[in-house]
Amino acid sequence: MLIHETARTAWRSLAQNRLRTALTALGMIIGVTAVIAVLAIGEGAKASVEGRIRALGSNLLTVRPERAQGAVRSARVETLVRADADAIAELDGVEGVSPESTGTAQVKYREANLSSSIQGVTADFLPLRSLDVASGIGFSPDDDLGRARVAILGANVAYELFGERSAIGERIQIAGNGFTVVGVLGAKGDVGFMSPDDMVLVPLGTHEGVLFGQSYLGAITVKVRSEGESEDVRERIGELLRLRHRLRADAPDDFEIRSQTEMLATMGAITGTFTALLGSVAAVSLLVGGIGIMNIMLVSVRERTREIGVRMAVGARRRDILLQFLVEAVVVSIFGGLVGIFLGWLAAFAIARFGGWETIIPTYAYGLALGVSIAIGIVFGVGPARRASTLDPVEALRQE
Amino acid sequence: MSLAHEPTTGATHTPVVIEELRKIYHADRAELAVRAVDGISFRIERGESVAIVGPSGCGKSTLLHVLGCLDRPTSGRYFLEGRDVAQLDEDDRARARNRHIGFVFQSFNLLPRMDAVENVELPLLYAGQRDTRARALRALERVGLADRAHHRPNELSGGQKQRVAIARALVTEPSIVLGDEPTGALDSRTGREVMELLGRLHAEGTTIVLVTHDLSVARSQDRVIRMRDGKIVGDGPAAAEIEAFVQENAGDFA
Ligand SMILES: Nc1ncnc2c1ncn2[C@@H]1O[C@H](COP(=O)(O)OP(=O)(O)O)[C@@H](O)[C@H]1O
Ligand SMILES: [Mg+2]
Repeated sequence: MLIHETARTAWRSLAQNRLRTALTALGMIIGVTAVIAVLAIGEGAKASVEGRIRALGSNLLTVRPERAQGAVRSARVETLVRADADAIAELDGVEGVSPESTGTAQVKYREANLSSSIQGVTADFLPLRSLDVASGIGFSPDDDLGRARVAILGANVAYELFGERSAIGERIQIAGNGFTVVGVLGAKGDVGFMSPDDMVLVPLGTHEGVLFGQSYLGAITVKVRSEGESEDVRERIGELLRLRHRLRADAPDDFEIRSQTEMLATMGAITGTFTALLGSVAAVSLLVGGIGIMNIMLVSVRERTREIGVRMAVGARRRDILLQFLVEAVVVSIFGGLVGIFLGWLAAFAIARFGGWETIIPTYAYGLALGVSIAIGIVFGVGPARRASTLDPVEALRQE
Repeated sequence: MSLAHEPTTGATHTPVVIEELRKIYHADRAELAVRAVDGISFRIERGESVAIVGPSGCGKSTLLHVLGCLDRPTSGRYFLEGRDVAQLDEDDRARARNRHIGFVFQSFNLLPRMDAVENVELPLLYAGQRDTRARALRALERVGLADRAHHRPNELSGGQKQRVAIARALVTEPSIVLGDEPTGALDSRTGREVMELLGRLHAEGTTIVLVTHDLSVARSQDRVIRMRDGKIVGDGPAAAEIEAFVQENAGDFA
């Protein structure tokens, strides 16, 4: 029998038993929907992380202190100082530097109270990170020098402390010290790790002198004049810091310089692993879908034993019967796959629309879903199809 | 040494030649063995119409299944159109069923989800032929059901269903049409109509072998083969064999 006749026969037998076909495909539909939705969330997360890092500026280098080799894990990392930042600022190809200190402290406003990441920064921080205040003002160099007790709140922090009210000019407590809120950052809408929405910024001098009493930096962000110079500048910074830190030729660096691309790669790898993990959980439901197909196909073969006998009596070869049932299984699984793709697309849309997560369905996901559907149809259809094709014609015709 | 081909006279083969055919169920366990067909030989010439009669369980259906290449004999030889069926593999046997055999069953065995013309078309599709729809329609015309081409089996009467089944058996122009009690599920009037149709097809040259309980059906064939316990007990012109059959069973009616 010609293949398109086989496909037509399969299609008709499925179309004539709509409810069963739908139930058979249900497992596949759920599985494919889940896989598509997970991939869309993963891809969306990756894009938003990349977008956030890219939003920092495309030619940024980050210098961090590196724990000396052999030092215990808890040992303080005390290698970077402000003078290092000032020296880096003088290098050729460097457009700006932002020395930063990190800490965590209780932030209070009246009854409201939360633990927040407190970043000590200079006036250069906001422009260098392409951030801006939504209301109020940024820091001035004087705030830094004078250890002014002023703070800029991330959007989430401002909302948690003040709700819809304006925070500007209000007095808050940071680790028991009174501060005046001078600015609130515009919301970035990012979630998770190191989002500016969740930070409180204070002048670097205040951070060192008033809050945490330590003059070592958590990081120096360096803006390079152009992306092409990034590698040269990185080398220059490395040489400069080794010199300034008086490292012997055989000593390892006591700092680490990372570029945007490296951070992108790292974050991409993390979200990729995350997506793969969730994806394989979703794939298990595809397996369940495949078993569902096999189950219903076995029932179908039993119910249609007489039909199989008749087909054999009029000249169907074993392989014609095999193909017919295999095609039926594959048609069901493709049908399930297509519906699943559509529902997955719908789910991704709904998650983005109502859940506020960015979702992107990667193009390969469509091909993957379809390919996997076909493969599942074949793998789980071949057993029942073989059973059908090896029936004895006389026995099959005797069947009720 | 076995011959793959039965010796022939002239250009064409005898459609069916069987020699010492046996079908023994459970042949491996003596206490369970059933000698359903027990050493039968005959030949059926082209254009003949033959009725097989005999008590229930005497092996008629089993014999017909073997003739229809649906079942394999335990021993003996079977030449279909001159070819030794024992030499055929599974695919060849499927092809033989498709090309040379038209099977008509007591219970019609139409596929319920296909309309009449699609049922008739089925053997042509397995033959991989073109123009299947037109040929199926012509076969339906031959059995007088062109106007029911797009009716499903459940929209047809028993007699109509059997005529569709006959059209399906005829559509590939087989060497032989085999019928296992084709009127067995029909009332006597529609049974007669179906027999008239088969009679007409026979008159047009179709070779027909029917298993039947109905002596009037047997009487309208050229030749009658009487079976008992898997063996042939009589084979000859219809009138004489039916006479013998009635004599033989007279005791049952006394
Ligand atoms: N698959 C089978 N296994 C065992 N015995 C069988 C089988 N099929 C038929 N028989 C036996 O073979 C004998 C002939 O059966 P059958 O050809 O159907 O008789 P008929 O058609 O003449 O009534 C019966 O005794 C029946 O019980
Ligand atoms: Mg029988």
